[in-house]
Amino acid sequence: MKRHVMGWDAAAMDVKRVVDVPRVDPETTGNGTPVEKAPDPELGTALIPAERYYSPEFMKLEWERVWTKVWLLGGRSDDIREPGDYICTDIGKESVLIVRQVDGSVRCFPNVCLHRGNRLRPEGRGNAENFKCMYHHWTYGLDGKLEHIPDICTFFQGGPPGMTATPLPCVEWNSFVWFSLDPEVEPFDDFIAPMRQHLEPYHPERMAWKRDITVEWDCNWKTSVDAFNETYHVQGIHPQLKWYLDDINVQIDCYGKHSRYLIPFAAISPRVAMPSQIPPAIHEIMVNAGMDPAEYEGRVSDIRRDVQLFKREHGAEQGKDYSELNDDQLTDDYHYLIFPNISVNVHADDIMLFRQRPHASDPNKMYYDIWMFELVPEGEEWPERVRHQRFRHGDKTIGQVLDQDAFNLPTVQQGMQSDHFPGLWIGDQELRIRHFHSALDDYIYGPGKKQPGDI
Amino acid sequence: MDLGLAGKKAILVGAARGIGYAVAEVLAREGCDIALTARSEDSVKDAVAELSKYGTRVVGKPANARQPDEYKAWIEWAIEELDGVDILVPFTSAGSGMGTEKYWYNAFELDLMGAVRAVEGVVPTMTEQGKGSIVLIATTSVLEAMGGPQPYNALKASLVTWGKQLALFHGKDGIRVNVVSPGPIEFEGGNWDMIKGTMEKFYNAQLRQQPMGRLGRPDEVAKAIVFLASEAASWCNGSHLVVDGGYTNRTHF
Repeated sequence: MKRHVMGWDAAAMDVKRVVDVPRVDPETTGNGTPVEKAPDPELGTALIPAERYYSPEFMKLEWERVWTKVWLLGGRSDDIREPGDYICTDIGKESVLIVRQVDGSVRCFPNVCLHRGNRLRPEGRGNAENFKCMYHHWTYGLDGKLEHIPDICTFFQGGPPGMTATPLPCVEWNSFVWFSLDPEVEPFDDFIAPMRQHLEPYHPERMAWKRDITVEWDCNWKTSVDAFNETYHVQGIHPQLKWYLDDINVQIDCYGKHSRYLIPFAAISPRVAMPSQIPPAIHEIMVNAGMDPAEYEGRVSDIRRDVQLFKREHGAEQGKDYSELNDDQLTDDYHYLIFPNISVNVHADDIMLFRQRPHASDPNKMYYDIWMFELVPEGEEWPERVRHQRFRHGDKTIGQVLDQDAFNLPTVQQGMQSDHFPGLWIGDQELRIRHFHSALDDYIYGPGKKQPGDI
Repeated sequence: MDLGLAGKKAILVGAARGIGYAVAEVLAREGCDIALTARSEDSVKDAVAELSKYGTRVVGKPANARQPDEYKAWIEWAIEELDGVDILVPFTSAGSGMGTEKYWYNAFELDLMGAVRAVEGVVPTMTEQGKGSIVLIATTSVLEAMGGPQPYNALKASLVTWGKQLALFHGKDGIRVNVVSPGPIEFEGGNWDMIKGTMEKFYNAQLRQQPMGRLGRPDEVAKAIVFLASEAASWCNGSHLVVDGGYTNRTHF
């Protein structure tokens, strides 16, 4: 049998042109986001069992061995600036409160009253002096300690142990708040490595909320993670993006359990002929950069590089500090998967983050959080926090591209449950899907311990 | 019908792709020698190499129609290379776009002056020869609203007026001038190819307005242009031929 060699021959694919994309020299990036191609892991060519997308048993294993073991993204630091500001966020059957303390630190504890189990707060954000249970007014301080139990003298056994909610690990990193349901979770730095060096240069703390949406989707959370983990689907469900990005010359890098791909933006896919006029979406990139497309005399194929040079030259005067980013980052999509459930497109001027959460009980449902942030130029007023919206799939549009993704997923979820669909038939353009499932296997079955026949 | 094109010499500006290239191909097949140009050196080289298979003399060199001196020098070079010029078809265009004043200057430079400079470059030779045929390319967007109030539409319209007056003025010199206005034309790498991919709804709306249910092909416009350029159209002068598959609604009395 022919040995599997990872990668692809861009000339042999369904393309009209062979394109050599100029990329930044890894020697020049210093302490910034690394750009070297990471060696591809050899992960074979086996099917990924479909059952893991709909099996209640697998869902249970995920709960026990993934969701309750890893670090989870809870929210944004700038949503809890003042003491008493809190974020209440759900994950599966659990819900936590992440609270800004008087000393400026953050704490996290389960959103549940130790008396009869009532939720202390509904999901969302707010400010509190304390958390009083609406049932019998048991009252917890910002630190989760029980401040008051009405008629405590009637509890012969006294208050619950330590008179406190269980403290859960909680850290702030890069303008985001992370927590874990596992008090014994590994140190955050070990978990997140090497994302610090990759993502800190983007300075998300200089970006403000642009969209905050939660959509209930009729698919497993992994169906969604997979959808954003490959560029192969661009030619399928996003035909218009072929005049916006290069879906062939994509660099994939796998790091431990996390991964990324780098997609040239402001580029024309080799799958289509080079147009002579500037495509509308690339026109918009130029306008957003401060360029006048009417003044542009170069070729369409030169636009990506010229946008980079323009932003490098004019960023500072626009109040945009790109000093820690390389030139490619000024146009391209650096797309990361932070294991297990954060898909994030990072750009010089904005971040488009998707938090994919499992449903509490149904493996065929999930919550898709769209978090978008936009760079606030220096000297400009910080915009008002956008309102959180929540709806079911199909009730509202979430934009052309995401709608295209979303409308496809319920039928994928249905089809995967067919007796005639054993599993996912994955190609090399989808290496990140394979890598994600391999990382998941390590959590579910123990590193390297997945056996043939395991789903 | 003999088009009388064998041995004729044609100068084509902006002919590396689309309708321009299709005209070059029809002319080459009919036995014309051709000098062509476009912005990009690679595309000129490719077009020349491809067209040479028809066995006539085909020469090309990139030129930027925005640079009057460079452009005029190219026209002179082309006339010299071909040893005369019987046919001129300039296709230069800045394309669509609106929003800033710069789009007006772009359309002025490319859509209008791209034609004017070429015509002025060939008229002395044609006058000397006592014969010549010029076809200017406008658009159905000069007749009906399309894409908003664009400089492209307005300056292409000026070619229709100017073309008619050129025809009247140079008839005495044996030079015919005609204008062709194509409707939406689709080809790989063309604007409508991109619109089909990026604005599907708009594209489909255009299709519904097309009596024949499709957009035109470059060769379907090219044949009309070549007809007007040829001896077969010896009595066509100052005409404006709309080649659009019936797309425009207005009646052309």
